[in-house]
Amino acid sequence: MSDATLQKGTTARFRSATEESPLARRALIGVAFIGLAILVFAPLIAVFAEALADGVSAALRSLANPDALDAIRLTLTIAAISVPLNAAFGIAAAWFITKFDFRGKAFLITLIDLPFSVSPVVAGLCIVLMFGTNSLIGGWLVAQGFPIVFAMPGIILATLFVTFPFVARELIPVMIEQGRAEEEAALTLGASGWRTFWTVTLPNIRWALLYGVLLCNARAMGEFGAVSVVSGKIRGQTATMPTTIEMLYQEYLSVAAFSLAAVLALLALLTLLLKTALEIRHADQLAATHRH
Amino acid sequence: MGRPLIHRSPMPGLGLSMGITLTMLSLVVLLPIGALLLKGANYGLEGIWETVNRERVWAALFLSFRLSLLAALFNLVFGVLLAWVLVRYRFAGRRILDAAIDLPFALPTAVAGIALTALYAPNGTFGHIAASIGWKIAYTQWGIFIALVFVGLPFVARTVQPVVEEIEREVEEASATLGASRLHTLRHVILPMLAPAALTGFALALARAVGEYGSVIFIAGNIPLVTEIAPLLIIIQLEEFNYDAAAAIGIAMLLISFAMLLAINLIQIWSRRRIGHV
Amino acid sequence: MHIEIDEISKQFGVTAALHPVSLSIPSGALVALLGPSGSGKTTLLRILGGLEFPTSGRVLFDGQDATGLTVQERRAGFVFQSYALFRHMTVFDNIAYGLNARPRASRPTKAEISRRVTKLLELIQLPEVGGRFPSQLSGGQRQRVALARALAIEPRMLLLDEPFGALDAKVRKELRQGLRDIHDETGLTTVFVTHDQEEAMELADLVVVMSMGRIEQVGKPQDIRARPATDFVRDFVTA
Repeated sequence: MSDATLQKGTTARFRSATEESPLARRALIGVAFIGLAILVFAPLIAVFAEALADGVSAALRSLANPDALDAIRLTLTIAAISVPLNAAFGIAAAWFITKFDFRGKAFLITLIDLPFSVSPVVAGLCIVLMFGTNSLIGGWLVAQGFPIVFAMPGIILATLFVTFPFVARELIPVMIEQGRAEEEAALTLGASGWRTFWTVTLPNIRWALLYGVLLCNARAMGEFGAVSVVSGKIRGQTATMPTTIEMLYQEYLSVAAFSLAAVLALLALLTLLLKTALEIRHADQLAATHRH
Repeated sequence: MGRPLIHRSPMPGLGLSMGITLTMLSLVVLLPIGALLLKGANYGLEGIWETVNRERVWAALFLSFRLSLLAALFNLVFGVLLAWVLVRYRFAGRRILDAAIDLPFALPTAVAGIALTALYAPNGTFGHIAASIGWKIAYTQWGIFIALVFVGLPFVARTVQPVVEEIEREVEEASATLGASRLHTLRHVILPMLAPAALTGFALALARAVGEYGSVIFIAGNIPLVTEIAPLLIIIQLEEFNYDAAAAIGIAMLLISFAMLLAINLIQIWSRRRIGHV
Repeated sequence: MHIEIDEISKQFGVTAALHPVSLSIPSGALVALLGPSGSGKTTLLRILGGLEFPTSGRVLFDGQDATGLTVQERRAGFVFQSYALFRHMTVFDNIAYGLNARPRASRPTKAEISRRVTKLLELIQLPEVGGRFPSQLSGGQRQRVALARALAIEPRMLLLDEPFGALDAKVRKELRQGLRDIHDETGLTTVFVTHDQEEAMELADLVVVMSMGRIEQVGKPQDIRARPATDFVRDFVTA
């Protein structure tokens, strides 16, 4: 009996060769918690605290303001147009890259990733230079009554630019891993190209697609830098939620600015929640880097 | 020579997928970037140099780059720590921390910008504490640093996490059986294994920070020569319809981005060559 | 060094990996722990090396209780099944690792380390690979480098986990003889784990047959063949 207790005492002293001491472990976990509390949780809480500074009804009232409602409507419209376009591009690009062998594939992937390393402001500038009234194409389009810059098409182009790689880079690794055998099998069984895509490929990539669409949507609704440059921020016409937040904030309408910000913050939280749920439930069908 | 441009394949949809890919890529990304480069070419190297070679522009470029570097360095250390803690330890709240790392990706930059300003302004929660020891954060370079740390936070942690997961226990055990202390193992075995991924994440965080606009402008104060970042200069030139100058600064920033993209690719090639797979 | 295992048991949660087992390994012996997967042989080896700790029982090295020694203090040369070479270091740095990891006071000089590594590379008959990285070696070469790395710390014993498991048949035969030669040259007490009865019988002085966390029989190869103690041993060694 005394032997058993003695043994228990000694085992507690033993530490696995691949672990840090409990003290070091606790210290590292503590630093992680404190660091994220200051850097991430505090700003998040600040958004809601500032929005509710004058109470819930004041916050809701500021959201019912026509400018705010117009901004929400515009942002939803932008997302509803640009996200499906981006998804269609992502699927096409992933199909082209993973189902065919061609020269310059690595270069093509680099080009698709390019928007991630370009400043959103520079992206907006590029679109203004391409389609602005001073440019060849832009001038002609304006003459036809179809302006791009300072109008909806420009905002959509800017949004597409900054979200460009999102869906494609989620799908490419997953489709490389899955190979071509299933599609080849479907084709030998007589399925048409479309049928193969809808019944074989799409079910295999749907969770990765949803993952990419989620991230793309969050960015599309929240883009600020590129949209600032191309939109002209005309109230009720081309002011999206983020640019309206800026205008309200600069007019010292703090509650109104933070109420609108809180709506976007809720969207961000929802995105993270869905994303984490996907990582837990469908890890095997996501790109390897998202599997925890 | 003999290698065909596109290999024959039984897969359907070559024309359609290639068509959509190349059309969208050209229309959305390549043509606009081309328009910027063309504008620069018309303006001429001398013109670009004249625009960029002004104290205010140099100050902004230097400020953006220097603070981005510092923020990325902070994220390098903190990101490796986060990746290690989240993969290796089991504790209450781990999932929440793991999800929270991605908040800077999901939260719109303008929202982050005004939230950080509210916190660090002299009358804000943290700004108030800092002010009591005479430390001004918002509307100084400290404020920009904090905003850039926020936007770059996920990069290193997310690139290092899968590498930590892949480390075989046996490698760490081997080090211990050879007499190495845990600290020696961490320094000489584990950190070198994480280094390539950490460097990639560092470069991504740096690239993101150099171009960042939304989260910075609210907290920066935007005082020329002191807290004015390079992207803001472009906006100012555009508001004055000074397209040539805006394009010149844009090209300077684009070149910095390309240089960093090249660096990321070189790091990856180097680490693949060196470490390979055992 | 003489190793004494005294009533060692190991629980992983509710499952018993080892029921109390006892075993005496004479100094300088070459011993095989033979058994199917799940028999507890690798757990026993890892307990000897200090990588696992027993739930109860003691380990004695030359009569002294070593149960509480940390893995670093044990000085057991351990060769892992996957070899666990450090892929970011050259072969030379892999072998020198244990010497460089010593505290400054007991660390040999650079020249001395270099001399010892060169000697070990000769011992494993790979004098020219010092500058290469592990990814540039064949499987058999990696195994020998792992062996040299374990020998570099002047271990008190040599422990090998399925040392030939990842190799093809031809290389396996060659390296068996290599291990035998190194054992005879260094005189180290050597314990290796295997599931291959032919390998155990051919190489070891003493074979320990294990099953379900228990030792079924201990004996010289020819004795086990001639007089299997249990049905399990008979089935396993004649398989």
